[in-house]
Amino acid sequence: MSARLVPPGARELPALTDLRLEVRAFLADQVAAGAFVPHVDTWLTRWDRDFTRELGRRGWLGMVIPTEYGGQGRTYLERFVVTEELLVVGAPVAAHWIAERQIGPSLLRYGTEEQKQAFLPGISRGEVVFGIGMSEPDSGSDLASVRTRAERVDGGWRLTGTKVWTSGAHEADAFFALARSAPLDPAHRHEGLSQFIVDLRAPGVTIRPIISMGGDHHFNEVHLDGVLIPDERVLGEVGQGWSQVSSELAYERSGPERVLSTFQLLAAAAQAMDDGRLPTDPGLGRHVARVAALHHMSFAVSTALEHHEDADTAAAVVKVLGTTGEGDIADYVDTLTASGWALDEELDTLLHAAILQRPGFTLRGGTNEILRGVIARGLGMR
Amino acid sequence: MTDLRDLAEPTTPDPDLVGVLTDLFADYRATRATPTAVVDLDRDLWQRLEQLGMTRLTGRESSGGSGGGWVDAAALLGLAAAAAAPVPLAEHDLLGGWLLEAAGLPNDGGLRTVCRPDPSGVALNVTWARDASRIVALWEDRDQWRVADVPIDRVAIEERRNLAGEPSDTVEFDLDDLENGTVVAHEIGEQFHLRGALARSAQVVGAMERVVEVVLAHVREREQFGRPIGRFQAVQHLVADIASETALARAATDAAVARAAASEWRDPGMLFAVGVAKSCVGHAASVVVRGAHQALGAIGTTLEHELHTLTRPILARRSEYGSLQDWDETLTALASSAGHDRLWTLITTGRAKPSSGQRPPHDNA
Repeated sequence: MSARLVPPGARELPALTDLRLEVRAFLADQVAAGAFVPHVDTWLTRWDRDFTRELGRRGWLGMVIPTEYGGQGRTYLERFVVTEELLVVGAPVAAHWIAERQIGPSLLRYGTEEQKQAFLPGISRGEVVFGIGMSEPDSGSDLASVRTRAERVDGGWRLTGTKVWTSGAHEADAFFALARSAPLDPAHRHEGLSQFIVDLRAPGVTIRPIISMGGDHHFNEVHLDGVLIPDERVLGEVGQGWSQVSSELAYERSGPERVLSTFQLLAAAAQAMDDGRLPTDPGLGRHVARVAALHHMSFAVSTALEHHEDADTAAAVVKVLGTTGEGDIADYVDTLTASGWALDEELDTLLHAAILQRPGFTLRGGTNEILRGVIARGLGMR
Repeated sequence: MTDLRDLAEPTTPDPDLVGVLTDLFADYRATRATPTAVVDLDRDLWQRLEQLGMTRLTGRESSGGSGGGWVDAAALLGLAAAAAAPVPLAEHDLLGGWLLEAAGLPNDGGLRTVCRPDPSGVALNVTWARDASRIVALWEDRDQWRVADVPIDRVAIEERRNLAGEPSDTVEFDLDDLENGTVVAHEIGEQFHLRGALARSAQVVGAMERVVEVVLAHVREREQFGRPIGRFQAVQHLVADIASETALARAATDAAVARAAASEWRDPGMLFAVGVAKSCVGHAASVVVRGAHQALGAIGTTLEHELHTLTRPILARRSEYGSLQDWDETLTALASSAGHDRLWTLITTGRAKPSSGQRPPHDNA
């Protein structure tokens, strides 16, 4: 192993800390005012367009989007601390999550001038809400096997196929769909894929709920029945969909949402131990230590990305450790509780939600089995 | 666009220093004798390190040190541990040398080790005691901390060895020598445990990084069923896990080292930062040692193989300056006292309360 698996650490300087504290103070006020109830896994499960627009007004959306497109023209590191603060307090951030994390950066990198003008200002104001359409009924980890077809027609493309696990499609305005624009060549499976910007209210789009095991509706099946996509809504180059999708993976996998989905539960457990409602146990310290170390590691990856360094393997490390850890927190708190023992309502609610959301942590955005393969490749084993 | 230099400051050791040390320890590894079950001080290596100014890397230049900081010192400890180098760098410089400076006592450069004798004047598991010319004792005398630099011929040593096969002796002091020690500030007594714990973390991480290299080399070379075992997914996942745990331990340790260096150990968040390092390193050690021996198969359990020269010190050192359980309990106490509303502040600043006096945990080093 010649290189380190994870980039060297970096210390957060006062300019970032000031931003962190500014966001923290705002969020504390919001909680005190009852604007939202802190929860777990809020980047999937808590939509609040008003809250999202308020963040936009405060300049905490579109942070890496240049000012000429209505964004803040700031850095990924600044976005990183804002993101952390939103997640730890369990704020309702699902409405803008996908747009802020990957749609905006993808549009910046691959979008036409017209597309940037059309979408980036709305994304930065928190008014345009996006989803992402990658998985299909028969394509999960093996994404190159997607079957949604894009057929060339006069002036554009017709999309036919089914996307699944599309978070928030029933609330979103549009999504990016990965589709096969040329027949599958088994020798070059990653070729012939393209990305399309699909208006989710266009004719031929049918959205059906996929209800999660706790009874909640976050996921959807999006059926595309010959949906017409004009040429100006092709993202990037036709046939380059795979490399376009892959290029943003490090951002998608290394962020604080891979570590902090259950932070509100961990914080509630710490309080319950202090109050004597949970038994004092060294496991709490162990989990807190891992969250702290992952905070440093995730920040180190962000710093490397900010300097345009390759961090795909490091991002996979963050995601494997982080998503395992956030799920382990749910299981850990569960092992401290006894049936018939009255916990407080808040801890109970957080715990049950965390346990039900947990299986998804190590699946979404690349399963941990796939990611261990990515790490093994980074180590030169594949 | 904001200037990135205003946002984050990388904390990396001096590349020239790392280059010199990498060469030196590569040479040491290439020329050393085959591994043994018991490990004694390598005086030749110690001398080479001394000539390079490495044995007193963090000592003040005015008193014969090299004036280095904790970032460089942690790199040195890690590289030495990766080479399984039997030299008391942490004891002599980062702990012993620092205590002497704190007490204003002279340092003749003679080999030192360090310990905290109990009220009866006895210290257990004093690494390298038999090899030292003097032993720096930190003694809690009623409400005061004292430092005494005691010549080796004034203590009684019962020779013992730790799990790594290294000298780890029982030392009995004459109480007069301890009572005549120099009084030092309270913070010195409290910092000692933290400094020791962080030095051990840096050593264990360095050794674990070498273990990952050893494992990778083995799974590429060793063939079964007609292919290198590293081609099997089960083996790839095992190796990915030990490499990831090692990376997490590295991130935690580097963060604590950076905080120590930036604040010269005055940051009130040091107890938490060191605890995070010690906890992550200790838990990683379980995964790494177990996984590495599994990957290496029976050959890795033999005396002639390098692996035990790393895994034995890893386990020996993770229990020094507080057991893993002690540190997890310390972190639990900090986290629960921070409570719901300040847990994240604790994680980002190390402070459980707006202005708290945080005492280190019970010391059993």
